[in-house]
Amino acid sequence: MQYYLLIPFLPLGAFFVNLLLGRRVVRGQAHWPSTLAVLGSLAVSVMVLLDVLEGRTLNEDLYRWILSGDFQVSVGFLIDQLTAVMLIVVTSVSFLVHVYSIGYMHGDPGYYRFYAYLSLFTFSMLMLVMANNFLQLYFGWEAVGLCSYLLIGFWYQKRSASDAGKKAFIVNRFGDFGFGLGVIMVFLTFGTLYYLPVFDNAGDLAARSINILGLEVNLITLIALLLFCGAVGKSAQIPLHVWLPDAMEGPTPVSALIHAATMVTAGVFMVARLNPLFSLSPAAMDVVALVGGVTALFAATIALVQNDIKRVIAYSTISQLGYMFMACGVGAFAAGIFHLYTHAYFKALLFLCAGSVMHAMGGEVDMQRMGGLRRYMPVTYVTMLIASLSISGLPGLAGFFSKDEILFRAYSAGGVGVVVWVLGTVSALLTAFYSFRLVFLTFHGGFRGTEEQRHHLHESPKVMTVPLMLLCAGAIAAGWVGIPPLLGGGGQFSEFLAPVLGHPEAEASHAEEWMTMGLSVLVAAGGVLLALLFYLRNPEIPVRLAERFRPLYSLLWNKYYVDELYDAVVVRPTIFVARNVIVGFTDGALIEGVVNGLPGLVGWLGARVRRIQDGLLQHYGAVMALGLFLIFAIALITLS
Amino acid sequence: MEINIQPLVPEIIMAVLALLLLLLELFVRRKETVGLLCIASVTVAAYYMPQSFGKAFGGMFISDGYSVFFKFLFFINLILTVLLSIRYIVIERVNHGEYYALMMLSTLGMMIMASAGDLIVLYLGLELMALSTYILAGFIRHDIRSNEAALKYFLLGAFSSAILLYGITMIYGRTGTTGIALIGAALAEGTVDPVLLLSVTALLVALGFKIALAPFHMWAPDAYEGAPTSVTAFMSVGPKAAGFAALGRVFLTGFGPLTGEWSVILIVLSVLTMAVGNILAIQQQNIKRMLAYSSVAHAGYAVIGVIAAGAEGLSSMMNYLFIYALMNIGAFAVVITLRSEGFQGESLHDYKGLSRTHPVAAAVMLVFMFSLTGIPPTAGFIGKFYIFKAAVAAGYAWLAVVAVVFSVISAFFYLRVVMYMYMHEPEGEPLTLSLSPAIGLALLITTVMVLIVGIYPSPFLAFARIAAG
Amino acid sequence: MVELFFGYLAGAVVVLSLLVVFSRNAVHSVLWMLLMFLHMAGLYLLLNAEFLAATQVIVYAGAILVLFLFVIMLLNITEEMRLEQFTVGWPMGVSVSLGVLIAMLAALSGFRTDLKGPWSIEAVERTTHTKALGKVLYTEYMLPFEIASLVLLVAIVGAVYLAKKRLR
Repeated sequence: MQYYLLIPFLPLGAFFVNLLLGRRVVRGQAHWPSTLAVLGSLAVSVMVLLDVLEGRTLNEDLYRWILSGDFQVSVGFLIDQLTAVMLIVVTSVSFLVHVYSIGYMHGDPGYYRFYAYLSLFTFSMLMLVMANNFLQLYFGWEAVGLCSYLLIGFWYQKRSASDAGKKAFIVNRFGDFGFGLGVIMVFLTFGTLYYLPVFDNAGDLAARSINILGLEVNLITLIALLLFCGAVGKSAQIPLHVWLPDAMEGPTPVSALIHAATMVTAGVFMVARLNPLFSLSPAAMDVVALVGGVTALFAATIALVQNDIKRVIAYSTISQLGYMFMACGVGAFAAGIFHLYTHAYFKALLFLCAGSVMHAMGGEVDMQRMGGLRRYMPVTYVTMLIASLSISGLPGLAGFFSKDEILFRAYSAGGVGVVVWVLGTVSALLTAFYSFRLVFLTFHGGFRGTEEQRHHLHESPKVMTVPLMLLCAGAIAAGWVGIPPLLGGGGQFSEFLAPVLGHPEAEASHAEEWMTMGLSVLVAAGGVLLALLFYLRNPEIPVRLAERFRPLYSLLWNKYYVDELYDAVVVRPTIFVARNVIVGFTDGALIEGVVNGLPGLVGWLGARVRRIQDGLLQHYGAVMALGLFLIFAIALITLS
Repeated sequence: MEINIQPLVPEIIMAVLALLLLLLELFVRRKETVGLLCIASVTVAAYYMPQSFGKAFGGMFISDGYSVFFKFLFFINLILTVLLSIRYIVIERVNHGEYYALMMLSTLGMMIMASAGDLIVLYLGLELMALSTYILAGFIRHDIRSNEAALKYFLLGAFSSAILLYGITMIYGRTGTTGIALIGAALAEGTVDPVLLLSVTALLVALGFKIALAPFHMWAPDAYEGAPTSVTAFMSVGPKAAGFAALGRVFLTGFGPLTGEWSVILIVLSVLTMAVGNILAIQQQNIKRMLAYSSVAHAGYAVIGVIAAGAEGLSSMMNYLFIYALMNIGAFAVVITLRSEGFQGESLHDYKGLSRTHPVAAAVMLVFMFSLTGIPPTAGFIGKFYIFKAAVAAGYAWLAVVAVVFSVISAFFYLRVVMYMYMHEPEGEPLTLSLSPAIGLALLITTVMVLIVGIYPSPFLAFARIAAG
Repeated sequence: MVELFFGYLAGAVVVLSLLVVFSRNAVHSVLWMLLMFLHMAGLYLLLNAEFLAATQVIVYAGAILVLFLFVIMLLNITEEMRLEQFTVGWPMGVSVSLGVLIAMLAALSGFRTDLKGPWSIEAVERTTHTKALGKVLYTEYMLPFEIASLVLLVAIVGAVYLAKKRLR
């Protein structure tokens, strides 16, 4: 099974090709190495999936970097059912995004740089999901963060883009700090960084607690929550969600790949991968579920009123990630991964359709200036419509099965599960509403843009629409591998993952399952109808509602003022401290003092030393002799 | 008397081929050929190395894993510096075949030092190595700086040789033998007395001089700065490593019973060396002088491996020297490429804006500077990591902390080079690099090896570990 | 009798060494040194090392000191004596010498006289010193002997290279 090594290393090779030869040799052909490499990875991933389906899994170290007692730093791969699923998701979406970008990024001056970053990202993400130890997970985690930063700020000449890149990086620092602490705690507790020994021993430590500032804290809960901090940052959950909407400054294919399908789901993957740890701590599980549920609703409400087409989808992503955490939090890890998998296709599709629209509109993102585009861009319209139906949960499409699975699992888990079920069901209504608001504003009604824009409207080239159609197939059919037994399916998806993620027993009856399913279909239909009513039949309603509930509207429009809050509480004080304390004191007194004072001190010392280091041999010889006498004296003293 | 010369075969080959080279020099017009023949000779000697294990001359000469590791290190040093020299000595107008023969003879001296089982053999090896190096340091006869460097190195070297001989006579008078293993056996029974301490001190000073431990380092900056740059690269690695080889063998085998006495002294010297090397390097504006102080500082790190003792300590020291050889010669290779007809290229300011004018050279230098600082994933990090680990394992955690602090200080002057290369605009005349296929090959080897050892160190670590026994 | 000779030779070596150092005239220094070397040869004779004594006279007195004289006379050293760097260091020189003396005295207590190697005085007397030395040098110490030849070779190569008149 050694061929699995090709999966991460093909994109790495492509990265080096584009890095070294990009500017001079490859230039406009930069897509070839990257795209072929990721296609190769996809093919190998399929082979790995087939192997895993036959029950062959693998856990081995490729090589050890540092071996120091218990502390081992190694590159190793764990290939099991969960990895196989993630490999397919990452490589397939990545491949389609690579192809799509040939059209979308055509003629960009940084073309080779774009593909180099994309390959590097793919490599990092694959290393992350294939890791067999915490440190490699952490390495991949930071590496995808770096690529995300580079790609958000890809058009670094644009101030807002480079600012957004920095914001993403800095906000993620907060989460990663906790994540890093968590990894250290794992090592201190278990004495190893490999997954399997940690999982094997976790059970024995379930009851241990440690004393932090007088508080008795359960050790596993502490570790799980610290690790979850990282997930909150990476997967943009409350309260660290603020970077994701801004990340839309990056090129749209990047949003589709990194900020919808793969990187942001790393948090969910991590929680699922570490499920033996999380499962041991009910408290941590409840936190995960509640953060997920609240985020799902919270982000969905913001999405209701935004006009920037990409930001609506970004908030929708945050909301859907919330669903995945909901599932993990109630112990239905397989359901979370199932949603991750279906979501990758329909959300990537939504983003790429938005990109196609922007391509046609000359970079316009404001939906209020669009309208009626379905006549000009039929392929984009149809694929986007299907993606929206899928995310809203139209029975039979991918999103329906996975979302339904989550809601049912939440409901049947009881306790906190019921609370998040309510949150999730309300969010489902909002999801359907904002998704169709987007479709109606963009593709229906009359065109509201400028004459010039109307003149340029066109369907995107084949190289962009073909990936849309392929993703569309995914958005329709991806869920068919997990049709619940209730609807006559086999639930193969969660069966397949059961060796890794366990098998939650549903305690609810068939009637209740029908109830949750029916309810979610109903609210989805309600949401779609409401959007139809608001934006096609009677466009005055939203305007009047906005007038009527002015405070609520501006609260949503301003995203609950979270950015402003952080600005006031975190950013400004930091800058204040930086300006007045660090620059004034540290830089002024300390650094200046050190930088100027050290040479001063060294200069003073040097003046003394240089009187010895004066090039005169006699002095050198005398110093040697003196050294000899001193050493002898020390030796004599230690002897007596 | 039965004489078994099998363990000596690589040395004999080196000696014979060096003499042949000296003769051949008369007939070969293109001296580059002599350089290439020198590399070929080394390869022949290296080929016979694996069959050389054993003892000869009643234990005076020992070919074991330890010495073979060091001999390979000397060979790498020789090959790389010959590659650096081929174009450089043409620029310096000293393109003579003796240069390569002397390098080979110096390397032969180092090999004898590494294999010495007797203090007399050790001393003669050291003299052979040192004498050849003195001449090489003064090889540019028309350059007053080169003359000065050679003279200083020679006189102080003679002084340290005298001290070494004093030490040897005293230990002979005290134990009645000059065999290192026999000394160890003799000391194991007896008590510690002042004569022993004086001879330990004398040997420590003499070998400390060769590896440039403070306060016996003072020749190094002057000699390194004045000597031809390729010779600086040669002598900042080879004689230092040979000194370490001798230090390890004499102090761990011969003076093993006195570990308690000398380790205290070595700790003091190690801290002093790191302090002097790193702090004075900050002040330097001449890159050769800066690298000289840096080489002093690195001796301070490597000696921690000897202090930690045991197989782990020794192997960490050997491993460190191997890595140090690669990165240091690499850095000197870049320094040499800046030297061209009528341009010294030794000032730090010459590196300003190098990334704009010569991005590849700048990137390569960046790798070496990172490695010298000890930033992962370069080899320098691995070297330091295992040194510090050995120190901690031997109960000298505080020494490891001190070493880390000095490593941080060292970042100041290594990264200043990087800053000049990447964050400053080029100044003055555009630089032309003196590149040749040979130096390109040397740069390629060192860069790749620094990265490979940094990323995949286990085989190298295992080699050092097996060699240390 | 032996003690008397030893006392004379040792005392003379000390006095002559001091004269070597404190003579203002370099030629006088060298001549004092010649005398000192001869007395040291006498010390070797007392130790039954007649070959060493002969070598001491031939090599040091005969070759090296003559070279010294040549160099001194070529250099007109009295001019140099006034230059600071050659005279200013004398306090340092004195303290280093004193340091060596103190170190030696401190180490004195550790010396032992009961060690007997394979070559006792009787054995040397029986075979004669030259023969004994030859035996040891060409059997037991053959390796150091061969290495020493290489050292000399390097010295010659270096001398020739550095002194060669014109380089191409």
